[in-house]
Amino acid sequence: MSSLVGVWEAIWGLLVEDGSLAVGIVVALAITWVAAAVLPEANRDMIGWLLLVMLTLLVLFNMMAAGRKARRSTRTP
Amino acid sequence: MDAGALAVAALPAFIASAVEFVEATTIILAVGVTRGWRAPLYGTIAAALTLAVIIALLGVTIVTVVPEHALKAFVGALLLLFGLRWLRKAVLRFAGIVALHDEERIYLEEVAELKAQGLKKSGFDRIGAIVAYKAVLLEGTEVAFIVIAFGAGGQNALTAAVLGAIAAGILVIALGVLLRQPLTMIPENWMKFGVGAILSAFGVFWFAEGLGVAWAGDALSILPILGVFLAASWLSVRMLKVMLPHGAEVTAKSV
Repeated sequence: MSSLVGVWEAIWGLLVEDGSLAVGIVVALAITWVAAAVLPEANRDMIGWLLLVMLTLLVLFNMMAAGRKARRSTRTP
Repeated sequence: MDAGALAVAALPAFIASAVEFVEATTIILAVGVTRGWRAPLYGTIAAALTLAVIIALLGVTIVTVVPEHALKAFVGALLLLFGLRWLRKAVLRFAGIVALHDEERIYLEEVAELKAQGLKKSGFDRIGAIVAYKAVLLEGTEVAFIVIAFGAGGQNALTAAVLGAIAAGILVIALGVLLRQPLTMIPENWMKFGVGAILSAFGVFWFAEGLGVAWAGDALSILPILGVFLAASWLSVRMLKVMLPHGAEVTAKSV
């Protein structure tokens, strides 16, 4: 049973390693989905690029946060 | 589709799957060398069968029940969760925050751990089988993701992705059997960086297509999307290198 739990945890870990990144992705996808539902047909083809912009910013901010966290726990020799 | 076009279409799945097969091979080699080959062989076969059942049940159900647009959106969402996670880790590795992936080190650690577990003089080696089973199931699941990612474009794309993954599996396993040591000559860190960006680009493409977006240039639009992810990653590596003091020892376990 414990090995099955381990396998499940490993598979879950394939998708979610950093919680804030995973939540950010889900939020970006939800915004894109809502935009696709409310935007007029003529503008709908822009939402792919909107998703890309949101995810790019998400990556940059997530890395900035990781850098700050690493700097706090850094020891200079 | 002629052989040349098929080879080109199969190349991304081949490269991405090769990374996963290398990781599984390292663990199986460690088990085989320290505890004998029978148990890891059974573990590998059991994991391959488990994967086949999961893919057959889930895959067939999803493909036949879920409408095409919803399926593309679902695959796109999974790819983004999976691909951006890879990309994040690759950026942290290249920035020096997380140690670079090292098959030799992983192999030695695995060997030491397996030796420490001890070996029964008789009977079936349960530990060896379970370690191999878990490694193959986990890496196999990642290969399944990769095949779905590159194969979501239709029957030709799926055929190419499956063939690419199979070719990678055969090549890596053959190398592992021949060399009997971790495949350190394969530039895994660079490959993971590229594959993370490619999976993320496919994720954006499929998710938007699932919502009814018609990309200008169709599949060619994956190239500029990929370019944006690579540029953002490069910028992130530069930014992190500036943020962290030169020569500092990073002790962060979880960033």
